[in-house]
Parts: sequence; structure tokens; C-alpha cells
Amino acid sequence: MIERKKDCIAMLLAGGQGSRLYVLTQDTAKPAVPFGGKYRIIDFPLSNCVNSGIDTVGILTQYQPLELNDYIGNGQPWDLNRNFGGAHVLPPYTKTSNNQWYKGTANAIYQNIPFIERYNPEYVLILSGDHIYKMDYNKMLQFHKDKGAECTIAVITVSNEDATRMGIMSTDANQAITEFEEKPAHPKSNQASMGVYIFTWDVLKQYLVADEADPESENDFGKNVIPAFLRDGRKMFAYPFEGYWKDVGTLGSLWDANMDLLDPKDPLDMRNPHFKVYARNYASPSSMLAPGSKVTNSFVAEGCEIYGTVENSVLYTGCVVEAGAVVTGAVVMPNTVIRSGSSVNYAIVGEQCVIESGVTIGDRPEHCVGGEWGISVVGHKRTITTGTVIKPKEIV
Amino acid sequence: MKMTGIIFSEMYNDELNAFTHDRNMAAIPFGGRYRLIDFTLSNMVNSGITNVGVLAKQHYHSLMDHLANTQEWDLNRKNGGLLLLPPFATENFNQIHRGKLDELRNALDYLQGAATPYVLLASAHTLCNMDYRPALESHINSGCDITVVATKEAGGDAPFAFVLLADDTNRATACALDYPASAGSYAATGTYIISRELLIHVIQEYTAQGAYDLERDFIQRKFNQGQLSINVYECQDVVLRIRNVAEYFAANMSLTDIKVRRSLFRSDSPIYTKVNDEVPTYYGMDCSVSGCIIADGCIIEGNAENSVLSRGVRIGKGAVVKDCIIMQGSVVGEGAKLENVIVDKWATISSGTELKGLASAPVIIRKGVTV
Repeated sequence: MIERKKDCIAMLLAGGQGSRLYVLTQDTAKPAVPFGGKYRIIDFPLSNCVNSGIDTVGILTQYQPLELNDYIGNGQPWDLNRNFGGAHVLPPYTKTSNNQWYKGTANAIYQNIPFIERYNPEYVLILSGDHIYKMDYNKMLQFHKDKGAECTIAVITVSNEDATRMGIMSTDANQAITEFEEKPAHPKSNQASMGVYIFTWDVLKQYLVADEADPESENDFGKNVIPAFLRDGRKMFAYPFEGYWKDVGTLGSLWDANMDLLDPKDPLDMRNPHFKVYARNYASPSSMLAPGSKVTNSFVAEGCEIYGTVENSVLYTGCVVEAGAVVTGAVVMPNTVIRSGSSVNYAIVGEQCVIESGVTIGDRPEHCVGGEWGISVVGHKRTITTGTVIKPKEIV
Repeated sequence: MKMTGIIFSEMYNDELNAFTHDRNMAAIPFGGRYRLIDFTLSNMVNSGITNVGVLAKQHYHSLMDHLANTQEWDLNRKNGGLLLLPPFATENFNQIHRGKLDELRNALDYLQGAATPYVLLASAHTLCNMDYRPALESHINSGCDITVVATKEAGGDAPFAFVLLADDTNRATACALDYPASAGSYAATGTYIISRELLIHVIQEYTAQGAYDLERDFIQRKFNQGQLSINVYECQDVVLRIRNVAEYFAANMSLTDIKVRRSLFRSDSPIYTKVNDEVPTYYGMDCSVSGCIIADGCIIEGNAENSVLSRGVRIGKGAVVKDCIIMQGSVVGEGAKLENVIVDKWATISSGTELKGLASAPVIIRKGVTV
């Protein structure tokens, strides 16, 4: 019997807590954090997969998986409800011996070797649920094949300053990786790893087995598996990606990435009809902008009702801004209500919050001196009572 | 569930030709992101009906495209689900449908194979958000042959397609077609509950005699002969009837009325539609928008007032759109001025164009046209 097989399947590491998002990931995994009006972070890698012709995605969950599991469901919003393939949520599970959580990124893949082998793939694409970007993985896969690579790491050009906080690749003229440094103080190159890897599966499998057998290993791709490949002189290449890519692992970068959506040049190419970002839909009606409302330079999703003023902001599905409320430079997540007379400035407000009347959240940078300014953040499902003042940088 | 749902996607006496050149009535866009059929179909689903037949007469490609992914309505089921029933010509029956009874004859096999004791017949052009379950209960308790879902009217000169008088037990005492509804009388919504057995019998008997109009040839005639008892079930939700351009225009405009919005769009019974995965709408630096209903995917850089803007509409800088309905993907160029205009899908209004209609007679720009 000839077995069905996939050329390439994706494994999406979605188990991270994202602790630097503080209150926003208190009860939910980072990939489930809302983004851009109607999306969640995980919509980007999932949509990339589908738009790249990859129809099999294992989603590895561990931290607070409830919301993420519910969101993925049968994968239908991304066309990942496939008979052979599709979206599969893969939490750690008990076995006859050696029960354990996912110890690290490499261990998470190691524990799912049986899942991967069901599809008998030539290549495995390793992704994380931490970044906002649109990328055709198929081009990278073609690069991997053309180079005869065993491991290809997608890289993006970053500033010297950013390079000190990232994994940096040095390459030769043929894009072959010669050196890899994690957060170097003096970076030798500006090519930073995007956390997107393609491995030739039979080679990766050997390394995962060896890594698991090594008691000293932290079972991490960046710290252990990639250095081992490099040490053994495996065929490793850096695939240069050009385009928008942002790590939204901090409150500041999450706010920045939302604000980038207001750029008329559309750096993220959100409006490309041939490379759409898919998301689960909650059947909200069209938004209503009441007489007297004032909305400028803003991104507003469906199901909103706006009576007040919204400027330079991103309003997610189902938000209400009452008359006399002012929202400026803010990211307001789904189904949050901002009552009359409140003002929200340069802030992120979580899902399903109620900001009662006369609340002031955040302030404009020009009103703050020295290093006092920063965005204010309100966690999910909070009720902020009348008269409360939340200062810049404050996290509630 | 005890009911099978049947949706009529044509109404036979409408004046909506302006929108039905290349789509049927049920597929007419509404409210920025919907098609007319979404309301009736969602009501059925929200009422627990999982067996729905949609009757189509002609140019139903647009409707098929809209309904293709039955998953949006949760009707991708092994048992039941949604079935489109286009005309099925046979040697003995090959004429184009003249009325709802003709269409039902076409669905006879479907109805005979259905496993429910009752059938809910509904039209796509009556928009409301209602639960059909209490109506079924009322039907069963009444012991009547048929239940007509209707709204209680306050009087007026405008004729309704089907008007009934009822006694204090909600039993119909008189009925009239194309007639004004006097104060306290009931205007039917085109929604009926009838036992499946009786319906099958009626279809066979009446179409054999050449009858084809459900209301005139069956309900009214049989009622007048004293052979049909009618239970009137009052629908107390907001009901929007769309039979002509003026009503279509007014119904769209009423969506900014918070009473209408709250009644039609409820989080406990959502109205489902085909998902398009458009990005959220972008409001530009110098735009001014007031009293509008706006779907996803628009780019608004001009001015919009009391209008409904569907998915992917673009309003150029300096353009003024007042009391308009702009359908999916249409572009209003810079500096254009529109008042009381309905722009069908994928049309282009060139920069600087000025168009002005009346609320009672809006200017209509056909699908795909450049003005």
C-alpha cells in the first residue's frame, strides 16, 4: 500500500505564556491575544500557512489553552477543516511512562513525533504564535529545496540596537549560516531569526531524539537544537524575508503594531485580496456611527456603536463609545464599553471591560515630562469605576 | 425539532426589479453585510430548525454563492441541513414557477421525505429577529389548520399583501389580499406554520387544479369556503417588509434607529451571513461620518451622513454621501456628491459626479456600472 503523505506540515508553538504582556495574558495564552480589530495573534501564522498551501498545522498548547482551543475549533475559519490534514490542537498528554509537560520548544516537537509521522512529511515548518507578519512559507520551502538545506531559518534585517535582543545569524555569500548568536552584546550581523524554521524531517527527528537523550539540554531550538546542527556542520541556510514583521511580545510593541495599521501605506499589506488574514467570525452587525460621533484616522471593526469621539485608535469588534467619551491613540479590545465623559488616551484596554463615566486612562506624551510617559493598560474583563484615574505606564 | 423550514426566495408581486436583474430577491444585499435571506434563515437556525429547503425560481447563482458554505448557519449537517431547491422540470411539469404553490410542488419530494410533523413556510423579504418556537406552540394549542404570523397594525392607507381580522382567541374571522390594514387588524408576514401532511395534500390537490398562488388560491379561497381555520400569531418584534424600492430604502435607513437595531441584532440570536474576511474599516484623517451603518473593509476619506455603507466601499476625499445605500465594493470618487442614491455592487462613481434622488424615488446605479 502506498501511504498518503504531505510534502510539508507546520508545527505552531502556541504554549507560551507571554509574561511580558502582563494582564493581557493572565488567563489566556499569548497567541490568543486580540490584535488589529478583529484578529488574534495566531490568525497570522495560521493564515500564512493556508495562503502558502500548507493545510496541516499542529498547534502545540500548554499555558491556559481553553480560549485558544475554543478559538481554533475545527479550523474552519482558516480552511483548516481538512479530511487529511487540517488544524490539530496538541496539548501535552499522559503516557504509560514519562508523563511530562512540554519542557521546551524542542521537547514539544519531540513529544509530537507520532503526530508528525502520521503525515509522513518531507519537511516540517516550525512556527511561533508571537509575531505579526504575512509571509509565503512556500517561497521559503522552495529556497530550502533549492539550497539542498537540512535547516532553513527565516531572517529579517534589524537595527544594531534590536540585534542585541535577538538571535543573530552570520552567513556566507551563499546565505549558508556560519554562526548563530543569541542576544549578542556586539552583533556581527543584522540578520535576526524570525522564529520560523524549515527542517528536513528525517534529519530533525535524529536531532530531537539525541537532544531528548541529553540530560544537560534545555530542549530548546534556539539554545540546543540549532547550535547542535551548526556544530555538526549540517546544511543550514538563512532565508532573507522582506516585509513587515513585528514581535508583539511586549505591551509597547503590541500597541505599536496596532498603530502601524493606521499607516496609509499599509506596511502589513492587510488589504491584499489574494493573501487575506482569516479570523473566527462572531456574526456581529455592521458598526453604527451615530449622529454626533466623530471618528478619524482609526480602524474600527464590526459590531461597534460609536456616539463619541475616536481618533488615532483601533477599535475591536463590538465596542461601544458613548456620547462625550473620547478615545485617542488607544487599542480597545472586543466588546468593551466606554461610558460617557471618560477619556482613554494612549492605552490598551482589554476585552469585555466596562469603563464607567468620568474615568481617565493614560495621557498624551506631550503632557508628560521626562521618562514618565508610557502606555496605560487595562486587563480583560475589568470594570473601572467612576472617577478613577489610571496614569501613563500604569497596568491595571 | 418538529418543523422543517421552507424559504421562498421570490415573492412574485414585488417591485424590486432594479436589484433583481442578475440575482433573486433573497440575495438582495441589506444592512451593509447581509442578504435578505440571512434573517429568515438565521431565525430558523436560532429556533432550532435544522432542516431547511430554499426554493429558487431563477437567476439563483448569487444565492447559491451566498449559501454555499452552509457552515456559517451551522447547517452543514449529516441529518438535515440546508438544501437549495431550484426548478426541477419533468415531462408533466416544465413551466416556470408562477407562484409559491408551483414552487412547493417542486419541493414535494423534499417535503415527503422530511421527518417532521410540521412545516414552517417563510419568505426572505420579511426581516425580523423572531423565535418560531412559541409560534409553533401557539399553532399546536390552537388546533387550527394553519397559523399565520402577523403584526398588529395601527391603521393607515398603505396596502399589505395579506390582511386578517381575528377574534379574541386569535382565530381569523376575515382575510383580504392587497388591502390596507385597519387599526387592530393583522398584516401577515409571509410566515406560516402548517402540518406537513396537510401541506402535501394541499400541494397535490391544488396544483392539479391549476392553482399556483399560495395565499389567493389556497389560504383565502379555502378560508372563504369555511374549510380552513386560521390561527393568527402576533409577532411583537420589529418587522421590516421589503416589497419595493421605497420600502427597501426605508428599511436600510431604519437601521440607525436604536429600537430597530436592538430588535434585529441580538447577541442571544445572531443574524448569520457569509463571512468575507475583510479587514476592519479605516476612517481617514479628514473624514466625517454621522448616522451611518458601516460594514468591514471600507476606506472612508470623505463625508457620509445617514447612509449604509457595505463591505469594501471607498469614499474619496471631499466626497459627500447623504441618505445613500452604497453596496459592496463600490467606489465614490473624490468630490462626488450623492443624495438619495442606491449604488449597487462594484459600481464606480467618478470624481466630481453629482447625483440626487428623492427618498421616495432614489436614484439607482446598477451593479458594476461606472458613472
